[in-house]
Amino acid sequence: MWRRDKVLGPLGMKRKFFSVILVCCFFSLIDIRLAWPGSLSPFEIAMADSKAPHDHDEEYYEEVEDEIYDPIEPFNRAMFVFNDRLYFWVLKPVAEVYNEILPEPLRVSIRNFFLNLLTPVRAVNCLLQGKIDGFGTELGRFLINTTMGVYGFGDAAAVCFDIRRRDEDLGQTIGLYGVGPGIYICWPVFGPSSIRDTIGMVGDGFLNPLYFWPQEAAYRAGISGLRVVNSTSLDLGEYESIKKAALDAYVALRDGYHQYRKNKIKD
Amino acid sequence: MARRIGMMTIGSAFIFFLILIGLQEKVFAGELTEKVKDTTDKIIAIVSNQEMKQPDKAAERKRLIRQAIDERFDWEEMARRTLARHWTGRNDTEKKEFIFLFGKLLERTYLDKVEGYSGEKVNYEGETIDGDYGTVKVGIMTTQEKSIAVLYRLKKKGPDWFVYDISIEGVSLINNYRTQFNSIITKSSFQDLMKRLRTNVEEG
Repeated sequence: MWRRDKVLGPLGMKRKFFSVILVCCFFSLIDIRLAWPGSLSPFEIAMADSKAPHDHDEEYYEEVEDEIYDPIEPFNRAMFVFNDRLYFWVLKPVAEVYNEILPEPLRVSIRNFFLNLLTPVRAVNCLLQGKIDGFGTELGRFLINTTMGVYGFGDAAAVCFDIRRRDEDLGQTIGLYGVGPGIYICWPVFGPSSIRDTIGMVGDGFLNPLYFWPQEAAYRAGISGLRVVNSTSLDLGEYESIKKAALDAYVALRDGYHQYRKNKIKD
Repeated sequence: MARRIGMMTIGSAFIFFLILIGLQEKVFAGELTEKVKDTTDKIIAIVSNQEMKQPDKAAERKRLIRQAIDERFDWEEMARRTLARHWTGRNDTEKKEFIFLFGKLLERTYLDKVEGYSGEKVNYEGETIDGDYGTVKVGIMTTQEKSIAVLYRLKKKGPDWFVYDISIEGVSLINNYRTQFNSIITKSSFQDLMKRLRTNVEEG
């Protein structure tokens, strides 16, 4: 290693760094090009897809239900009640105090920091899904946000260059290869999931730096706790409004999760 | 070295070219987008009107928002689609009451959402038309730098277009309610659904 550096010299290293940046810029440009008018944008592709018969079918009264299979509903409903209590009794009061202490821009920055740390999960899954442009986008975003965004606290890539995050995870990757969700599972604490997405979540864990660092379990737990409280503090009121609009909140959440994941796999 | 510099020039020229292509601005101003934009602008004007924020104007404000939504939303179409296969077995009185109550529920949900408006930016990102059906894609940028994808589904009735479904991040409102209503009806009864609907609307 020492020898190679010596052979390449500082100039060689610089050139290497420069070409990496160039490659990243190139990939993110492909992405911008795709997302922008002139060619077929991802939206148009998605649109072509969503021209499913159900939109035009006059017989929509007979519409086929697309629901997620839920054979362990009694267990899931119990967990739903548990999570509901956990939210209203513990998480929400804590997040409200946290809200009082930290101003919103700071909380948004903390969320950005955690999202930046999770770049490996998104980048690798872009690759696994054959989305080379997405991989370039994530790599470019990581470089820009870690430097210009100061360790990822600012989302400079989105604000200055309009390069948006590509939300890809292993559950979506497996789904893209044709695997259905299996059955619906409402996990305590983690909330709505499916067999497929649970496997995905465990797999993605190996790419999450926070699973290895810091080494002391107590610190890791503390950081995870901060992440959950921080993101809850930014979404306060959302769960309440879903609940208020629903006639059966459990079914509303289950179906919402199913539709949301289906849409994520499609794009 | 010279060859390398030559490659770099070609490389930068290529990237510059790509940027130029990317910068071609395209303006979306289709018929459907105009319809949705018109309603959205009206509602934003009402909710950001400082004068209307006085407590004594609350009822008037609600009435104006309601009016703006009513002009663009097709409550009957929505009601029909959510009941789906359970629609045909209902008599006229039941249908009427269901349309009324479901419309109230949706209206209140929408009202709650727009009441909290705090300067979010709305971008119109394109539309599609296929016969009597169309979609308008909208991106909402929240004050927390989060972007939310919204898709309006519209159906042509006479000369005008009306919204019959809204998808938020891929979750269709109509599909979501259909699943809930189907679950309630099959597990208990249509009467029970109506009872729950009434309680929910009254509590609102």
